[in-house]
Amino acid sequence: MEANKQHKSSFRDPSGFVFLEDGIVKRKMFPNYFPVYNKLSELQFYNKLFNSGLLIPHKELSASDSEIILLPEQIPFITYPYEWSFLQFKEAALLTLKLQKYCLLNEVTLKDASAFNVTFHNGKAVFIDTLSFDLYIENTPWRAYKQFIMHFLGPLVLSYYHGSQSLKLMSTFIDGIPLPMLTSMLPFKTKLSPTLYTNIHLLAKFEDKHNEDTHGGSTAYSLSKKAQLKIIENLYDYIKNLHLKEETEWSDYYSKINYSDKAFQQKALIIDTWIQKSKAKTLIDVGGNDGTFVRKLSQPIDHALVCDIDPNAIDVNYKKIKERKETFITTFVLDVLNPSAGIGFENAERESFINRARNFEPDVTLALAIIHHISLSGNVPFKRSAQFFALFSKKLIIEFPDRNDSWVQRLLTNKSDFKDHFDFYNITNFETAYLERFELIEKLKIEDSERTMFLLKRKES
Amino acid sequence: MYLLYFDPGLGAMIIQALVAAVAGVILFSKNLLYKLKLFFGLVKEDSNELFDDINVSESDVDKNEKRGGE
Repeated sequence: MEANKQHKSSFRDPSGFVFLEDGIVKRKMFPNYFPVYNKLSELQFYNKLFNSGLLIPHKELSASDSEIILLPEQIPFITYPYEWSFLQFKEAALLTLKLQKYCLLNEVTLKDASAFNVTFHNGKAVFIDTLSFDLYIENTPWRAYKQFIMHFLGPLVLSYYHGSQSLKLMSTFIDGIPLPMLTSMLPFKTKLSPTLYTNIHLLAKFEDKHNEDTHGGSTAYSLSKKAQLKIIENLYDYIKNLHLKEETEWSDYYSKINYSDKAFQQKALIIDTWIQKSKAKTLIDVGGNDGTFVRKLSQPIDHALVCDIDPNAIDVNYKKIKERKETFITTFVLDVLNPSAGIGFENAERESFINRARNFEPDVTLALAIIHHISLSGNVPFKRSAQFFALFSKKLIIEFPDRNDSWVQRLLTNKSDFKDHFDFYNITNFETAYLERFELIEKLKIEDSERTMFLLKRKES
Repeated sequence: MYLLYFDPGLGAMIIQALVAAVAGVILFSKNLLYKLKLFFGLVKEDSNELFDDINVSESDVDKNEKRGGE
């Protein structure tokens, strides 16, 4: 029975696993991990990590000879590395290094350094794998070193040279970017950087050389703690100083919009009024850019997911979250035309966006200035996009820019000869298709623009 | 006790001594450069820094109160 509840993502670590009980995430630990757990509890190590915000806090629910059950603080929405922006990825990497340094100073070590051990909660990165700690044995190298390079340094350096879209490689390579591929993708000048040369190129060479060595596991290699700290500190310095080239080119989206200030204010007011009327506590803003509209809400929101296809917008948003110390927004990269799929073993190790959004059950979904992109750039019929939103939206606030809107005109012009195929794109057809899945609560035209706002409620059948 | 549920890589274990030596040199020279800049008054405080340094502050660790959100 219990095995059925075991979370599909949690099977790699023999020390225990995560399971769901009545919708609550819990963690079971096996006796082979008890010595470490007891020792760390005794040293107050977990409490220190909770207080410094490095590790997700947990409480011990029960303890017997055969198992210990922990209740971790619940995270409303898990995001994965391939959904993070550059800044988020960077913070996750720095968190892992910071944690390893702190561990070493306390005679502990991280036994793995997977990027999937980190997620975002309360506006910052937090380590969520409570069983990743092991007691440090004097003069042993860091077992998770190669994993750290493949999961963190590799993707970050690739982003620096090829843009932050490189981070999406993590959805294909869930065990990290393969070293031979990493070295082949990096320009020659990276060989001139002592940090990149040793940590990536030389590492790849050594790994390749010792690939066939089968009896190597039993040989002990020695590395002093002081030396290991140097590796960690140097990687921290290097990653901290890594900035995206495209970052500075980002200019404010809202200065490029095609409608007047008055229309913008009215749109914000309509959204605010409808959110208040709906008494929404949770929401998802699909295509939320840098979170502008979520921040304009007058009613406090417990949790808002703000996603966008543009990783730069997510970077800007995440920067705002950090600067303002906001805890209620989780932001991540989402392409509505290709939302994150279920991946890994059994296609279930990492959950799809739709599953996570369904479980999150937002009170309201915002889809502002996005339908024309879905319909005209993605060629998605209204019926299908209505079906998509209905999968996870109890209520939907959607903005419809009609044919005469300049953005819509531009998208239609791009279609050239194919343009007639998009005659369906008008407000009547939109309404007819959406009202098959949703009931109309309210509809308001934004003055001074070609746009109409709809407040819809899902038909429950 | 190490539970080997993923491959740490033999090459990766051997190379760490070398990586550490190079890291040591980099850290030493950076530190020296910083001290020189400090001496000549060339160090600028960057208030826009989003991330703090690697060390966990003891005041965070020791606080007994619940972490309260702002």
